[in-house]
Amino acid sequence: MKLAIKMAYRNLVGAGLRTWLNVIVLSFSFLVIIWMKGIITGWNHQAKVDMTNWEIGEGQYWQEGYDPHDPFTFTDSHAPVPEEFLGEIERGDMEPSLIAQGTIYPQGRLQSVMIRGIDPKQTIFMLPSYKLDTLVTGAIPSIIGSGMAKNLKVNVGDRVMVQWRDADGTFDASEIFITEIFTVSVPAVDQGQIYLSLDTLRSMLGLEGEATTLTYNNSEVTRPAVEGWVHKSKTELTSAVDELIKVKTAGTSILYIILITLAMLAIFDTQVLSIFRRQKEIGTYIALGYTRRQVVGLFTVEGTMYAVLAALLSAAYGLPFLAWQAKVGWTMPVDASEFGMAIAQTLYPVYSAGLVIGTVLIITTVTALVSYWPSRRIAKMNPTEALRGKIQ
Amino acid sequence: MLAAAAMLTLQIQGQDPDDILKRVERNMSSENRVFESTMTINGAHRSRTITSRTYAEGYTKSFTEYLSPAREQGTKMLKLGNQLWIYSPSTDRIIQISGHMLRQSVMGSDLSYEDMMDDRKLTELYTAALGGDEVIGGRKTWILDLTAKVSDVSYHSMKMWVDTERYVPLKEELFGSSGQLLKRTTFEEVEQIAGRWFPMKLTYKDVLKSGDGTEFTITSVQFNQKIPDYIFTKAALKQ
Amino acid sequence: MIKFLLIGLIRDKSRSRIPVIVVSIGVALTVLMHAYITGFMGDIIEINARVTHGHLKVMTAGYSENMQQMPNDLALTDVSSLTEELRQKYAGVEWSPRIQFAGIADVPDENGETRTQGPAMGLGLDLLDPQSPERERMNLEGSLVRGSMPGKANEVLLIELFSRKLDVNPGDRITFIGSTMYGSMTIHDFTVSGTVSMGQEALDRGMIIADIGDVRIALDMENAAGEILGFFREGFYDDEIAMENAAAFNGADGGNAKDLAPVMKSLSQQGTMGSYVGMTKSWSAMISMVFIIAMSLVLWNAGLLGGMRRYGEVGIRLAMGEDKGHTYRSMIYEAVMIGLAGSVVGTVIGLFLAWLLQKYGIDISGIMQGSALMMPTVIRANINPVDYYLGFIPGLISTVVGTMLSGIGIYKRQTARLFKELEA
Repeated sequence: MKLAIKMAYRNLVGAGLRTWLNVIVLSFSFLVIIWMKGIITGWNHQAKVDMTNWEIGEGQYWQEGYDPHDPFTFTDSHAPVPEEFLGEIERGDMEPSLIAQGTIYPQGRLQSVMIRGIDPKQTIFMLPSYKLDTLVTGAIPSIIGSGMAKNLKVNVGDRVMVQWRDADGTFDASEIFITEIFTVSVPAVDQGQIYLSLDTLRSMLGLEGEATTLTYNNSEVTRPAVEGWVHKSKTELTSAVDELIKVKTAGTSILYIILITLAMLAIFDTQVLSIFRRQKEIGTYIALGYTRRQVVGLFTVEGTMYAVLAALLSAAYGLPFLAWQAKVGWTMPVDASEFGMAIAQTLYPVYSAGLVIGTVLIITTVTALVSYWPSRRIAKMNPTEALRGKIQ
Repeated sequence: MLAAAAMLTLQIQGQDPDDILKRVERNMSSENRVFESTMTINGAHRSRTITSRTYAEGYTKSFTEYLSPAREQGTKMLKLGNQLWIYSPSTDRIIQISGHMLRQSVMGSDLSYEDMMDDRKLTELYTAALGGDEVIGGRKTWILDLTAKVSDVSYHSMKMWVDTERYVPLKEELFGSSGQLLKRTTFEEVEQIAGRWFPMKLTYKDVLKSGDGTEFTITSVQFNQKIPDYIFTKAALKQ
Repeated sequence: MIKFLLIGLIRDKSRSRIPVIVVSIGVALTVLMHAYITGFMGDIIEINARVTHGHLKVMTAGYSENMQQMPNDLALTDVSSLTEELRQKYAGVEWSPRIQFAGIADVPDENGETRTQGPAMGLGLDLLDPQSPERERMNLEGSLVRGSMPGKANEVLLIELFSRKLDVNPGDRITFIGSTMYGSMTIHDFTVSGTVSMGQEALDRGMIIADIGDVRIALDMENAAGEILGFFREGFYDDEIAMENAAAFNGADGGNAKDLAPVMKSLSQQGTMGSYVGMTKSWSAMISMVFIIAMSLVLWNAGLLGGMRRYGEVGIRLAMGEDKGHTYRSMIYEAVMIGLAGSVVGTVIGLFLAWLLQKYGIDISGIMQGSALMMPTVIRANINPVDYYLGFIPGLISTVVGTMLSGIGIYKRQTARLFKELEA
């Protein structure tokens, strides 16, 4: 076996450019597959991290009537914060949010808006909520996302009229003062949302001590089931991301198949020619006492070695590339801010050992199979004819 | 005779704001009334005028039949207490308007169904205070500041400009709890009908929204008519 | 000489068969890959185009400002002459007026009183004409779950989930309550002819699909429409052309049109589609480039291998006194022919495979069960004009370059050693 590997190596290196073309194509396949899978994994990771940081924490409790897709539910979906959680909220490990439906009047037009109350001192979300503590005369300090700001055509320092109804159905309206515009990759946090201080919103609605959602930052804690509140685990809340990733994974798999087929075409072609050109050599091996299986093995090892060399080559130029990518990320050449999904402008690929080893193993196995396939012909050769170099 | 009585009360009770409000209510509402009206709605493409005939009894019962244009003709609306039904002749269906549909605008106007639904008297909802006087359109008015005394009202406070002689509001402004002006109604063409002063033209305007508002003109009104009971039943909708 | 070489190639299968097969496979893979990546990346674009955005959309300036709110009070009027004008100006585009609307669906009991009620979205499009491209576009026949397609006035399709929620069956009556273009309340009766499942939860929440004629009557929109959607006859979105068309259409008003003046927006100018179109373009370009480079390397290698196969033959030809330059040139001519033949065959095969993938697609609905995203459940290829020539880049150029490089060896061979080599 050692001899076989040694001979295979010599044969390959001896073939020069032809070998290197095959090896480069194969190493390309390694790199592209690992990079693309890394990007998708990174995207999955980033989307969930962003959702955690901006929207859902480590999980949430929803007041049972709350349905984020149905604004009609907002009027009734609030309840006093359950006593069981007061301690956790006190420690800052859980954040109550109050959500109300309102109408915003940018430039005299009218538009529905979701008004969210959050504690200016909260630390669970990355929202610049401390900006809600700004003192403004005659208006309510508010922060909004960049997408919403674009939609409303407002900037920091602008005032916009907002109308709402309190818990009794009484109308009220006030100007809000935009104290900060934040950029976020999670559209649910940005589009159609305005943020006010929780205390302000509570007194606006006459709902002291009430909340619509409760977000916690520690999933390890066991919490009692609370009547009137529905627990939403992080897995549940991020299932849309999982689905998106599934589609992307399924879709790109076909690309990998085409790419590998391409590389295999090169290997196959090379193998067929080797066997055709090296009949004398094959005959000699058999004359020297090699069994046919051993000769087939020799050629298979030679073919498989392309994959091994490709892996080494990919490691040589690919590792620095992949490492560099993981560090600086891949910045999409388009503006991702108004994208309908949680996708950041820059995606950082994440590679797992399983991904790298798996890719190498799969490609090597396929290469071995493709190398073996044309070599089977050797087993059918007549050794004396082969020795004479007669084409069979 | 009525005017003389009014003068008398004014002299005896001075400018008691609650009394002014009561007299306004007495003037504006009646046991029952039948009126025909037109509503002009200014849309992006064109303005539309809708005419209707309404039978009303107190604050709780009303029955409206739309007379024109052709599209609306035969559509009827029945309000009993806090319930509202609409009958559409083209589908021969009676549909109850409830929940969130109540927030929709009435025939595209600046009024919502809900705005029409409050069947309580102003005096039940608000306490009045006199906030000064002003001359509007050549008429001397008192300004009444009304503040809600119950919690479940649509508007926390209200300003009403009341004609000092006729006890008719000439202007109304509705405010949110924070004091923000939300809606404005102006009353014009005050006429004396069956011994009471009555504004024949109203303009509603949502002040937060740009636009010209909705004009509502009463073309004829009769008070204290005998309205048959069956008018205020669902069966009447289909007739 | 070309004729001679061609006959040689055709008669001597060993000279042509394997190289042509290899080139064909390579080219086929490239073409398939490109059509696939375009389809896969563009799928979401096409779904959005068909359902809401069109490749182009004409609406009033006011409507376009508040598109999400479906402000039919700002709808286009005199639509028939506007559509006619668009048809004449843009021959490559099919124009279909549509009305999107919202309101309440109310189901009566046997006495005609409200049994169930629910908020509903509505879509009015040309549905009754069996020739209407809209039926195909929305794949309504294919999505039918129960009942049949609407055949006469006031028959509508209901989203299956929505029909279950309202407990309505084909043949039942539903009443739509909403407001007309002028803001009046409208109450209109429809008969449910069938139910459809769009496979997208965003759409499957609650929708009534009706003929635009009926919707016009219901919403008092005589010869009006909220929007006129334009679809490229080629079937797929082309951002450059769409942007050009839109710019030309809006040109006179410079995009500052008054509220009711018509404006045209390309798909990429609507909502969040711009970013997606941009991303699709850059991804497709990047992946295609990687593939073409890889493919070129493979075919280059094939060219080298081809040269080796002919090593002996070339030796004899040189030994017989053939001029080296002549031999080299003839090898290259042969490579051109092989490259051309392989590219043509490969493009045909690749296009056929891509066509299969475009027509039948790969069903991934199994892994997409319960999806909440507006995602395609079938991955399809998308054949575009580039695919007709793309394969020739690696197929022809790389094969020839490979042959050129391997052929240099011809000049290095020494006549004196030729026979020795041949003996070996």
